[in-house]
Amino acid sequence: MLARRGHHPEGNTVKFKHVATAGAVALAAAIALTSCASTPSATPAASNKATSAATPLDTTLTGTITAGGSSAQANAQTAWSTAFHAQVAGTTINYDKSQGSGGGVTNWLAGSYDFAGSDAALTAAQQTSSQANCGAGGALDLPAYLSGVAIIYNLPGVTGLKLSSATLAKIFTLQVKTWNDPAIAADNPGASLPSTAITVVTRSDGSGTTANFTTYLHDVQPSIFTQAAGTAWPVAGTSGQQGGSGVVNTVTAGAGTIGYADHSSIGTATAADIQVGTAETFVTYSAKGATNAFAAAATTTPSTKGDLTQVLDYSKITNKDSYPIPLLSYQILCTTFKDPAQAKVTKAYLGYIGSEIGQAIAAKNAGSAPLPAAILADVQKSLALVK
Amino acid sequence: MTTNEAVRSRGNAEGATGSRSPRGGAGPARLKSRPADRIFFGLSLGSAALIVVILAAVATFLIVQAIPAITADWKTSPELSAGPTAGYGSFWSYVAPLIWGTLWVSAIALVIGAPIAIGIALFISHYAPRRLAGVLGYLIDLLAAVPSIVFGLWGIIVIRPLLLPLTDWLNQNLGWIPIFAGKPSTTGSTILAGAVVLAVMILPIISSISREIFLQTPRLHEEAALALGATKWEMIRLAVFPYARSGVVSATLLGLGRALGETMAIALIISPSIGFSLRILTEGQNSQTIAANIALNFQVADALQREALIGTGLILFVISLAVNIVARFIVSRTGKSGGTRRRVQLAPPEAASLRVANDPALSPVRGTSDKAEGASA
Amino acid sequence: MTATAQSNRRSPQGGMVNSLTAGRLPRFVEFYVLAGSLVVVGGAFMLLGFNLGGWIFVSVVLYLIVLAALSTLAENRRKAVDRIVRSVVTIAFLLAMAPLVSTLFTVAAKGIAQLNWGFISQTGGAVFDPQTLKVTITAGAWQAIVGTLEITGIATLMSVPIGILTSIYLVEYAKPKQWMARTVTFLVDVMTGIPSIVAGLFAFSLFTLIVGPKAFSGFSASVALSVLMIPIVVRSCEEMLRLVPHELREASFALGVSRFSTIIKIVLPTAIAGIVTGVMLAIARVIGETAPIFMAASFTDNFNVNPFNGPMQTLPVLAYTGIKFPGQDIAASVASAWGAALLLVILVVLLNIIARIVARVFAPKGAR
Repeated sequence: MLARRGHHPEGNTVKFKHVATAGAVALAAAIALTSCASTPSATPAASNKATSAATPLDTTLTGTITAGGSSAQANAQTAWSTAFHAQVAGTTINYDKSQGSGGGVTNWLAGSYDFAGSDAALTAAQQTSSQANCGAGGALDLPAYLSGVAIIYNLPGVTGLKLSSATLAKIFTLQVKTWNDPAIAADNPGASLPSTAITVVTRSDGSGTTANFTTYLHDVQPSIFTQAAGTAWPVAGTSGQQGGSGVVNTVTAGAGTIGYADHSSIGTATAADIQVGTAETFVTYSAKGATNAFAAAATTTPSTKGDLTQVLDYSKITNKDSYPIPLLSYQILCTTFKDPAQAKVTKAYLGYIGSEIGQAIAAKNAGSAPLPAAILADVQKSLALVK
Repeated sequence: MTTNEAVRSRGNAEGATGSRSPRGGAGPARLKSRPADRIFFGLSLGSAALIVVILAAVATFLIVQAIPAITADWKTSPELSAGPTAGYGSFWSYVAPLIWGTLWVSAIALVIGAPIAIGIALFISHYAPRRLAGVLGYLIDLLAAVPSIVFGLWGIIVIRPLLLPLTDWLNQNLGWIPIFAGKPSTTGSTILAGAVVLAVMILPIISSISREIFLQTPRLHEEAALALGATKWEMIRLAVFPYARSGVVSATLLGLGRALGETMAIALIISPSIGFSLRILTEGQNSQTIAANIALNFQVADALQREALIGTGLILFVISLAVNIVARFIVSRTGKSGGTRRRVQLAPPEAASLRVANDPALSPVRGTSDKAEGASA
Repeated sequence: MTATAQSNRRSPQGGMVNSLTAGRLPRFVEFYVLAGSLVVVGGAFMLLGFNLGGWIFVSVVLYLIVLAALSTLAENRRKAVDRIVRSVVTIAFLLAMAPLVSTLFTVAAKGIAQLNWGFISQTGGAVFDPQTLKVTITAGAWQAIVGTLEITGIATLMSVPIGILTSIYLVEYAKPKQWMARTVTFLVDVMTGIPSIVAGLFAFSLFTLIVGPKAFSGFSASVALSVLMIPIVVRSCEEMLRLVPHELREASFALGVSRFSTIIKIVLPTAIAGIVTGVMLAIARVIGETAPIFMAASFTDNFNVNPFNGPMQTLPVLAYTGIKFPGQDIAASVASAWGAALLLVILVVLLNIIARIVARVFAPKGAR
């Protein structure tokens, strides 16, 4: 069964319905993907006539998948596992979102998990130590979840705030202290900015969101944001809050506050428009923007055969269709499982996540941005190597 | 420590341990050893031994896990120079400010919480109308059941905004005192807020146990004191406190144990930075505690960083050990001479002899040694 | 201490005479003084600008000063101190009641909307609609209730006997100078300092050694909770057993009753109320733990009733994840988290009531 499908959820619900009406069997069937010509920005994806190598969902599979890690993926994992279980009734999926990326990888390296969700790809050392459990083939990092880092603020009377990357870096290094600072005024001509002091709200816990955001700031404004990027917030003197929800709540409750969070978790908080490229172009977050940015900036730099570790070059995100701070999360699994039956179930589930329908489910239920079709095709190819 | 001393003097309490020591006059006659006795003794000894085994296992686990990170070279290790442990020269330079933060926050919480908790216990046991006391005590116990995550959320919703005006006021008027100095917080994520919530969290533990102990004061002693014309407060000070001292200190230590190890509420409320700071009203300059630091960073830490965090857990372990040793030492010093001597003075002759029978703390042998101590002190 | 001794010495001489000759303040003097200070300070604050906290604080200070002065003048110093202490203790109590009531009120107010029979009796989960690709999340706490009861129940079954037996050993059998008793007392102290997350890691590592890497189970979480519970049970039971009057034991021994029977029939029933309080405190302390549970029992949205295999859901973890990792509908997640928190409190209340009834049945008659 063939279906012409776009890879962005916006405006494509009718097409999804088309597919969906065919029911679970249709979903289980191989879905041939052709890229949608109406999305010019995703050129790398469009030029690559990706054909999903997804094996048909074997609805007779049984087994329990134990996994955990990245909390950014939490909502998407709930959606994926529910949808997967709805079609493959014999499977149970336990994804522990409370572990965090580090906990997920650690437990996975110890063999406690079938796969780990992680906001960062394996380091070289982790890749080496994974061979203890995975054999000589090592492990695969498969991109699975894409979103964006939103800059949220609460400044009574001010909406539609625009921030250049330089101003952003200055605010988050506490060099800009009040809202009527010339730097902010220059980005927002005509806006009446109060003299309220800026309260910068950051994550007090280690987080993949912080890693993505600091990497962005350090790459784009290395002379202002001189601190090294990492999972821990590096600038002292900010108001540190636990969890993305802590940041969102504190920003919303305060006045003159600004913070960062995964866009899918900001709820009703107000997000600023962020400068893309070096021109005076400010972009509002959209899922499409995140997908475009990822397509433009990401290069696959495999560490083992089939590995899909992505390196983001933020300087390549210049198009006004792109949101400048994408946020990527991986699934990590062994190339060789100790138990072939377990490999089969895990492959089926991760293949489902890495399919267009899986991405659409996450976009619909977790607010994520679908990954470009090209990378999804690569995911399916890599999964085929897993045994 | 009164009760410990008491048992020590209880030369008769050793029956089943197979001791050959001569039995004191007041003790029971040699007991027949029955099978049930032996089994029961074996069970209790076994349980005690099991605790030793469990703790040895936990300690071994902690040490084995922590050693790689403690011994690693933090400057060159690629894992330790990234993430939560980035920028520290060694394990000790990482853990030192955390030790400070743990002690500082717990101390403030204890200073706020312990007197109030003992006040509550006293109110319920001796001041509140009897019928009301049960209900009130129950309400306090209920509080121990509230999960710490809820305390954390309550702190965020209620305490943080509530303390903001006080924060500003203290900062403006008493800002010359170092602990109130600095730029006051605008979100309320201060040590003050964290310590207040922590104080509320340790209240039920301290007050429930103290209350039970206050209630156990022999009524005879209380009535004797009142009969001598003591006011209620004098009765409490002379009859209740000496009797309850060791128990109250024990309860406070349990509360301190909870304060030292509390993670979630602190992690939710306080906006931390790892460093040595006395300030309790600022934001991002608050000293961080070990437990909260573990909770905040454990999830992104990779293997060696986790081991570093477990290493800080080991240090927390050692801290609570040290606190316990110090407290036991204090109790044993103040507990014996002060408490018992006063009771001996206060009690009328008849009551005193009753006490001797009543309270193991005052068995005849003990009484004389106590007097000797009193004289020498 | 010196002051105490002095006031003691003085009491038979000066105090007694005074209390017979000197006047007494009227019965409800505290109320009059308090009302007076509230009015006076309230008036002053009206002129300066009203501030509720300041008004109460200054009134209380004024009240204490006036009461002390009145009592010292009309009665004597000892009476004054007594009145002051009575007031301070009452104030401490009221001061403490405020946060307590506020916490309970917050939990109740936020959780009550969520608390209906459906939430309690149905297992939470999600339904996938292939038509719209929409995953609908149904809030339900049943699997978390079952998980909490099983995990905490097993932990209680393991730690209460160990805890009580150990405290019996320490109080009834061991000589305090014996190295074993000292070691155990010391180690119990040390155990109170184990951070809860470490207990979870420890239990998980232990079970990894025993059953292999996928060691997540409710039982391993129970072991983690036991490590946290045992010292609390031992500490509180030890205190309670020590408070049992020695004459009771001696009377029993004198009748030729064995030590075992004395402990079971005399010592434990006498101390039962205190022991039950201690055990309930211990349960309450661990039932709300999140960190050790998600370390050892992991987390799942699925319903698992077998505590010996597979991840389990619990109420505190449900509350924690609902707040920390809210779903797309943030309000609904937070609401179910508060619902779980309220359920947890209610659960503890029920356990408490049951335990107290049990204690009352076994306690000797006429005990306070």
